[in-house]
Parts: sequence; C-alpha cells; structure tokens
Amino acid sequence: MESLFQTNNPKRHKIISDRFDTIQLKSSGEQFETASQETLQKKLEILKNDIQSAIELEHSTIPPYLCALYSIKDGANDYAANTIKSIVLEEMLHMIMAANILNAIGGSPAINTPNFIPEYPTKLPKITEDFYVSLEKFSKSSISTFLQIEKSAEHKPHPGKEYHSIGEFYASIKRRLKWLDKAIEGGIFTGKPELQITTEQYYGSGGKLVSVYCLDDAILAIDEIVGQGEGIDGEIEDPDHELFGEGIEYAHYFRFNEIYHEQKYRPRDSPQEPPTGKQITVDWDAVYNMKENPKMTDLPKDSEIWQKSYNFNKTYMALLNNIHDACNGNPQLLMQGIALMYDLKYKALELMKIPIAEGSSITVGPSFEYVE
Amino acid sequence: MEKKTKEEFDVVIVGSGIAGSVLAKTLTNAGKNVLLLEAGLQAGMAFDPEAAYKNYQYYIDTFYKASAKVPNSPYPNIKDAQSIDVLDIEPITQTNSPSTKGYLVQAGPLPFGSDCLRGPGGTTLHWLGSTPRMLPNDFQMQTLYGQGVDWPITYDELMPYYEMAENEIGVSGNVEDQVGPDMSIENYGEGYVFPMKEIPQSYLDQVCIEKTQNLKVKLYGKEYTITCISTPQGRNSIPNPAYKFAGTYWNKKAQKLELAKNNEEYEPVGAIWDQNTGHRCEGNASCVPICPVQAKYNALKTLRKSDPKRLKIITQAVASKIYTDEITNAITGIEYKKYKYENSTVYDTAIARGKIYVLAASAIENAKILLTSGIANSSDQVGRNLMDHLVMLTWGLLPEKAYPYRGPGSTTNIPTFRDGEFRKEHAAWISPIDNWGWSWPVFSPGSDVSSAVSSGMFGKKLRSHLNDVLPRQLLLHFECEQTPDPNNRVTIDPQYKDQLDNYRPVIHYNASEYMKKSFEAAKKVSDQIFAANGVEDYTAYSVANDPDYVTYKGQGYNFWGAGHIVGTHRMGSSKEDSVVDKNQRTWDHENLYLVGCGNMPTLGTSNPTLTMTALSFKAAEAILKQLEN
Amino acid sequence: MNNHVVSSNTFLTISTYLTGYSEVELLGTGMLETYFNVFLEKFSPETLHYFFAEVDEILLESAGDEDQINAAIAARLIPDSAYDGIAKNIILVWYTGNWGSDVISTQSYQQGLMWDTAEAHPPGAKQPGYGSWANLPIRIPTK
Repeated sequence: MESLFQTNNPKRHKIISDRFDTIQLKSSGEQFETASQETLQKKLEILKNDIQSAIELEHSTIPPYLCALYSIKDGANDYAANTIKSIVLEEMLHMIMAANILNAIGGSPAINTPNFIPEYPTKLPKITEDFYVSLEKFSKSSISTFLQIEKSAEHKPHPGKEYHSIGEFYASIKRRLKWLDKAIEGGIFTGKPELQITTEQYYGSGGKLVSVYCLDDAILAIDEIVGQGEGIDGEIEDPDHELFGEGIEYAHYFRFNEIYHEQKYRPRDSPQEPPTGKQITVDWDAVYNMKENPKMTDLPKDSEIWQKSYNFNKTYMALLNNIHDACNGNPQLLMQGIALMYDLKYKALELMKIPIAEGSSITVGPSFEYVE
Repeated sequence: MEKKTKEEFDVVIVGSGIAGSVLAKTLTNAGKNVLLLEAGLQAGMAFDPEAAYKNYQYYIDTFYKASAKVPNSPYPNIKDAQSIDVLDIEPITQTNSPSTKGYLVQAGPLPFGSDCLRGPGGTTLHWLGSTPRMLPNDFQMQTLYGQGVDWPITYDELMPYYEMAENEIGVSGNVEDQVGPDMSIENYGEGYVFPMKEIPQSYLDQVCIEKTQNLKVKLYGKEYTITCISTPQGRNSIPNPAYKFAGTYWNKKAQKLELAKNNEEYEPVGAIWDQNTGHRCEGNASCVPICPVQAKYNALKTLRKSDPKRLKIITQAVASKIYTDEITNAITGIEYKKYKYENSTVYDTAIARGKIYVLAASAIENAKILLTSGIANSSDQVGRNLMDHLVMLTWGLLPEKAYPYRGPGSTTNIPTFRDGEFRKEHAAWISPIDNWGWSWPVFSPGSDVSSAVSSGMFGKKLRSHLNDVLPRQLLLHFECEQTPDPNNRVTIDPQYKDQLDNYRPVIHYNASEYMKKSFEAAKKVSDQIFAANGVEDYTAYSVANDPDYVTYKGQGYNFWGAGHIVGTHRMGSSKEDSVVDKNQRTWDHENLYLVGCGNMPTLGTSNPTLTMTALSFKAAEAILKQLEN
Repeated sequence: MNNHVVSSNTFLTISTYLTGYSEVELLGTGMLETYFNVFLEKFSPETLHYFFAEVDEILLESAGDEDQINAAIAARLIPDSAYDGIAKNIILVWYTGNWGSDVISTQSYQQGLMWDTAEAHPPGAKQPGYGSWANLPIRIPTK
C-alpha cells in the first residue's frame, strides 16, 4: 500500500546552490554599478547574444541525444530509452525557455539560420572543455560523451568568454540579468508578453514550461534548466539530504551515469562515486548501427537514400522554421511543430534501419543538416 | 473454508471502475475508511511509476499482438473473473440456443452485442471517452412521449453532479457548441465552461460539415435541419483559463459535496506512471481499446487520488454473495473469493464487513450478485430492463480524400435526432461522425488489402488503389436509444457457473419494433446525408456481417452493441417498480447502495458514463450523510 | 534444375514489385529479415526453391522492364495455384504485418504498409501529436 499512492510528480531535484554567484568574475566589464547607461546597453546586447548562444547550446545537444535514442531497437533497453527520452524532452523545454528569456528582454531568437545547426562532431557553443559531440548510436562511448556534456564544473574562474560547464554559463547569464535589470533604467524585461510561449502551446513530458515576464520568472526558468541538467555539484551542504532513490528525479548527469554503470543509485550514494544500487539491464548490442556523423554528401546524390536523408533534413528544417516562427510572434504555431517533431522521429527511425549500401551493416542515420 | 476479516470498514465497495473509484476517492478524502474489492489481477492495480508503466506496456504489447483489436483485446481475460468479449458473440439459432461460447450465456432471441471489462479501472480503460450530457427531456420519457419510465430526478437536480463528473473526468469541450433539440447553453448554466477547450474537430469532420451543416432532410413527411457540433470528451486538451474548479470535496458543515474553487489554471491529469505524460491527446487513434499515453481519462486516475491511509484494496477478490440480517434486513457482509493467481482454481473465501456496502461491479455483475443473494428484489426488477444503444452503421466513399484513421474515434456529432415528437414512434439517436474509416463494420483497412489482393491486384496498382480508397472512407453511427423492456434481462441458472463456482449471467435480449423503426428512419437520414456529400454507399447488412441482424418492413438491418450496458437495477420513485431510490440506495436494504449504469431508468442518447459518474457523486453524498447521521 | 539461392535479396527485390514500395522504403520498416524468415518457416524448401527460381528467371528475362516484369508476375506468380500462394502472401505480410490473422510481432503490426498507404498510422503507434488530425497529413516535398 505504501508505494501505491506515491506521487509520481516529484519536486524536481533542485538543490543548486548559488555557488556560481559567489565566484569572482575575472573580466572587468562586470562593474555594472558604476557603468554608464550606454555601457549597460552594450552589456545588454552582449547578454542577448549569450542567451542566443544558450538557445544554440541547448539545441546542439538534441540531435546527439536523439541519435542515441532512436538507434535503440524497439523493445530493448527500456530503461535507457526512457531515460534518454525524458532528458531530450527536457532539453527541448530548456531551448524554449531560453527563447522565452530572450524574448522577455527584447531579443529575437534566431532558430532557423544556417549556423544555428552545428556541424557534427562539434564542440559545445560557449563551453571551453575540450571534447567533441558526435551524432552516433547508443553506446558506452556516446553515453560517456553525454556525461561530459552534463558534467558540472569545478570551482574555478572561467577563462574569458567561455565557460567550463553549462551551469556556469547559465550562472553568468542569471547574474547579469539580475544586475542589468537593476542597473538599467526601467529594467530590462521590456519584451512583448505576447511573444512568450506558454503552457498552452508547450506541455507535457519534460516538465512545466516557464513563461518569462520579469526577473523572477527568468531566474525560475534558469534554475529549472540548470537543476534538470547538472543538478547538484557534489558539494551538498546538507549531508542528510537524500539525493537519489525512488520518486526523486535527479539531474541528467546522474541519470546518464546510471546507464553507463548499468546500475541505479541508492538513496545514500555519494554523487562523486558510481551508483551502487539495483542492476539495470542494458543491451549495448540491441542497437541500429548508424554511421557516425553521417552527411548527405556521403550518399550518392539524388539516389533514393539521399532523397530519404534530404527529406529528413527538410522536415528538420520545417521544424526549426516552425519553432522560429513560434518564438517570433506566433506561439500558437507550435502545435503544428509537435506534429513535425513526431514526423521527424519516424523518419529518423527509418534511416536507422536502411543500410548505407547494399549488404552493409552500417545504416544511414539522420544527419541533422541545414538544407534549403 | 470461510475466513472472517477482523477489520470493519465504514464502506465496502465492490469494483474499481469509474463508479467505484469515484466513491473510494470521495469517501476516503472525507475521512471514511473504505475497503475496495476488485475482481481483476493485482498487476493492474500498480500505482508506483515503474510497475504501473510496466503493466501498461504489457497491455499495449498485447494489443499490438492481438489479431482482432476488439475493446478487451489488450487486457487479461482471466477465468476467475471473466469479461464479456465481443468476439464470443454469435447468432442464436435453433441448434445454438443458448449460445455459451463466451462468458455470457446468450439465450436470445438476439445476442447482446456489448462487452465490458472486469479488472482494475474497469471499462474506462477501453471506453471511447465521449461525454455529452443527457437532455432534460430524457428524464421524462413516459410523461412526454409515453415510452419507458420517468426518472425520479430531473436534469436540474443532476446539474451540480454533472459539473463534478466533468471535473473528475477532465472534459474537453466547447459549451457554446452544445446546441440542438432540447439542448442549449441553458443546459449548462450561465458562464459554465469545461475544464479544457474542445478537442479539435478532425479534417474529415470539416469535409463532412461543409455539405452537412444546415442540410434539410425529410423523415416521415417532416423536415429537419441537420447540424454538426463538437463532441465533449474525456481526453486532455488545452486547459480553459476560464475554468475555475479544483475538485469535489465533502462540505461537512453543509452536509453536501461541492466543487472547490481554484485560482490556478486547470492542470490536465497525466498518466498514472508519469504525471507529465498525456497532457494532450496525441492522436494515437486507438482510444478504444487503449490510449498509450493515458491522455484519455481512466478510473485509475481517480482511484490514485484517494486517501491511501483510509483505503484498503484487495485485488483478485471476486464478490460472490451478500449476507443480510434476517430481522433487520440490513447487509451484514459481502462474501468474496480470493484466487491465488491468474486462472487459478484455488481460492479462499472471506467476508468483507462495513457499515455500508456499495456494488459497483457493472450493470450485469451487480444484477447477478443480487440475484445470487436473493436480495434487493422486492420489486422483481433486478436484472430486468437491460439496455444498450443499438448502433446502426452506414459507410461509404467520399468523393474526395478526408484522411480518416487519424485522431480520437469521433470528434463531431449530429444531435438533430436526439429529441423530438418522433420519440413517440421510434427511438431517438445521436450520430457521431466516425474518424476511423470502416474499421468497425468491415475491419478495414486489412479487409481492403485482402480483397484487393485476392482480386489479383499487386504492386504500384495495389498501392495506388488503396491510397485512393482508404483516405475516402466515411463511417456514420446512429446510436439508437433502447427503451426499457422487462423481458430484456439478466438471469441466473445453476447449469451455468464459472470456475470459481460463481454464476455466469444468462442474457435474454431482443430489439423491439420501436427500435427497428429507428433503423429505418436512421437509414433514410443517412441516405440523404450521403447524397448531399456525394458519398457512394457501401453499406451492406447481413447476418454473416454481424450476428445482430433484424428485418423491418422487409428490409434487413444490422446493429452493433455500443458498450453502453444499462438498466439492470433501475432507479425510481417507488419501491414497487424500481430497485434503488434517487440516492441509489436499495429500497429493501438501508445499508446497500448500487452504483453504475444499472441505475439508469432510461438511456437517453448520450454515452452513459458521464451521467453515471454524476450519479455516483450523488450516491457518495448520500452515503456520507448516512454515515454522519 | 539450377541451384537458385533462396536469398533475402531476391525476396526484397520481388517484394518491391509485389507491394509497389521501393527497396529503400521496405528496408526502412526494418522488417525484411523477420518476414523473410516467416516465409522460410511457412513454406517447404522445395516450393521456395521453385518460387525463387521463377523470380530470378522473371527478373533476368525482363531486364528491368517494369511492364514486362508486372505481366510476368501476374501470369506466373499471382495465381493461387502458383507456388502455394507465396506471392500473395508476400503482399499481405508487408501490408498488414500479419501471417493470416496472426500478428507476426509487435513491430510488424506497427510497420504494416497499409497504414502508410492510407496516409495514416497504425492505431496506438506512431502517434502524430495533438491536433494533427485537424489538418491534412504532413507532406514534406522531396527534391
């Protein structure tokens, strides 16, 4: 009976200390208190650019996660598939929330430009750490890359315009939002409210979307993003706090780590150590063998598989165009975007199954490329 | 061997379908201790996310693998608590009377065409989810039209409970659309809105509406104007910001149930394994038999909101007999057989005890348990007046592609013949426009493939033929209101028992002239709608097509069961001709309530679940009052 | 008799002519091996051998001429008397995912081509998302 009515909508595990706020910023341009309004406006423009980068950053993780997810054969690896699916849905949510923040401060999210899509393998935008993210199938190696993506940073000053981790990048955005909102006359949350994507258009798995109309909303949105992503950093002040276990939805890093180690965390596990709980069944072989970082140019031009790949990318573009339009004045369009998202999925699944050449054990895979 | 349970509860409920779940939730949240007996398997009662997900995935896989994807196909049909299955329906002939192929013993002359599900969550696991309210005139069929009986309550009395039911189920719909005979915004009251906005009407609906909206049709010398309206339904859509109710609670001081006001936006209720899944209908187009994301309401969503400290659930527990005190006539206990595992013949017998007892085991099971126990039947109405909507289907090809097989089963209905003077002569009906092609009557698209292939078609020609035909398929329903007939009934017979030694229901069933005339009428209307839309009619009725085949004035008609099993222990204003009073308490036993569709004196033309749920709230209120006084 | 190989490649090729779907489309379902194995299991090696020999011959003599291939298929593979009805069964399996009335697997149900032909999706799978049914099916133009 006890487990019967356990709530399945746990408060997200959000013990993010404001540790990044306390980090001394190396750069000198952050002395907002004494800056002129003109300087502050320049800083605001830089901030807008950085939030645009945040949108790109969130987006850049989605194709790799989707490749891993869609490469898993039906019926195999339920746990891993559900985990990756829930994470990628959260990344989509993060992307939309970042766009909401940008709209709230008078920026215009650019989601359908050629350079919006990274060329895989790619470094993560704005992140210094020296690793490359690829479009590849579900494997120990791809999960280990995902762990690097979601890893939270050491406490050290960031070296200029790049950051050690996604969390650190968002902390900087959050701090600047706070300071600029205070320092600039009339505040910075001057964006048109009707530009916001709301829970009417975006819903469901991944959590509740935050629409941003003021600083508090923006902070909530960022905390949600960082909380879902990196979550805790292993330096919990409260040692009695249960980090793991049933009903606690912990951060991406730890969820990937469970797959990597084929084992679940237990309530008292240390975040610095691997999980020690129940075994998870992971079948690393029940996976479609998609080509790593596929490109349309690998395929004979105008051949049928090339056409399939092109059609996939056209759908991807239609989706990005849709999200772009939804985030630039037509929020209600997002409803059609959902249909495109599903369509994209089914097309990706086909490409996962089609051999790259007759008799080849390697399949075409979705290439996520910009096409006209 | 009989075990007596030591615990005594305030209320013992039999069945975890929507009626039982509404009771369990409402009563436990009002501080009462409840024991719930459920005949189905323990696995289906899982509420922790992992087990609930796993069990539901098992249902989905079973559905994928089922050769006939009938309403009960995803769910276990266990011998200890068998479900009625439409696959068992066969013609009743001289050499096949009664038909005993399935769980029901069908004595005929016509086979009863509907099924229901015995298991956690009950038939809401496979219901379609349409939730129109009944019409005010439906409550006075005898007074207005000389048919059937009047209800002991009026539409107005039921209104507040309708609101509770719409809240509980989470209805999506547009009140302003609900216009038709005896139906207007007035039926809902000033300013009322549903919790969520209407489910978008399908592209197919839009194609049909173009030439059907305001179409004039003639029927028996009278002209009617056809209208098409969006159907309210229990599946998740966009929350309506104007909706301001949180949930139903017991106002102890006022001694009544009330809807609590809410300042927050209504939040759709998601899947039982993940609250964030299923916030919108995702267009799986499989509502019957299973919604994979649980965007469609099911009773487990209600049950899981019960107060766990006050609710004990015993699964695999089949209620078999009710005991009464010889002097006071009060119920003293419900005997149940708890089987050990799926299809086990081994079971323990125990008795559940409480202050008040509620049967919520479905119309047919409720009647069967009462007949077995020989109780609550001073009126001789137990088991009688079994009703269903007799569904006449018509199908054809549209001149243009309208792309069926997408979206919920039906998103639009024609309310034109739900009420009118014609009810003196023949049954009223509601006409849903169907979104799923010809799947129901002729098992499309599989049958289209096989007939094209048998004719020798193959290759690109086959592909383009199917691509031409399937997207043009249109199916209309005519859900005709069956009137109460004492000879349409459930009985028991010692010859027919199941493996736990419980009775199997014996069904006696027929369609009256009043019903047959409505088939003729509906077909006349269908012909005119088809003509106006340029639809090529492919409708063909035969006993080979469907065992429920009747003739009227020399014409043959098939009808199908709607799954709306109603009327076996009806509610009334006197103990002479009804089983329960308007609070759904049995006239004969002051601590026995019956809930579910069995209480409905007449059926109306609406899908009965919403009305039955409203009545269940009314019963919950009466039980709370009785417990506290 | 020639020793014709009963191969999944030939099975795929003849499937394209029988179903009207291209090789890439059929491969995209991921069902080729499963279905090929169904036929290996359901028909005698001898019948399969003769069927595949006939297929090879039809393909060879028609040299890619589609009309000629179709005429040969209609005359030599489609009649019920030909090779225990293998050809018609190939079509039914791809379109419905069923062998007779048995669903071959949970995947075969979801991959039945008839849903694609209907411009819909198998009920309970490949859901198209909220509100999609109110619009025309999505069409992304191919170059």
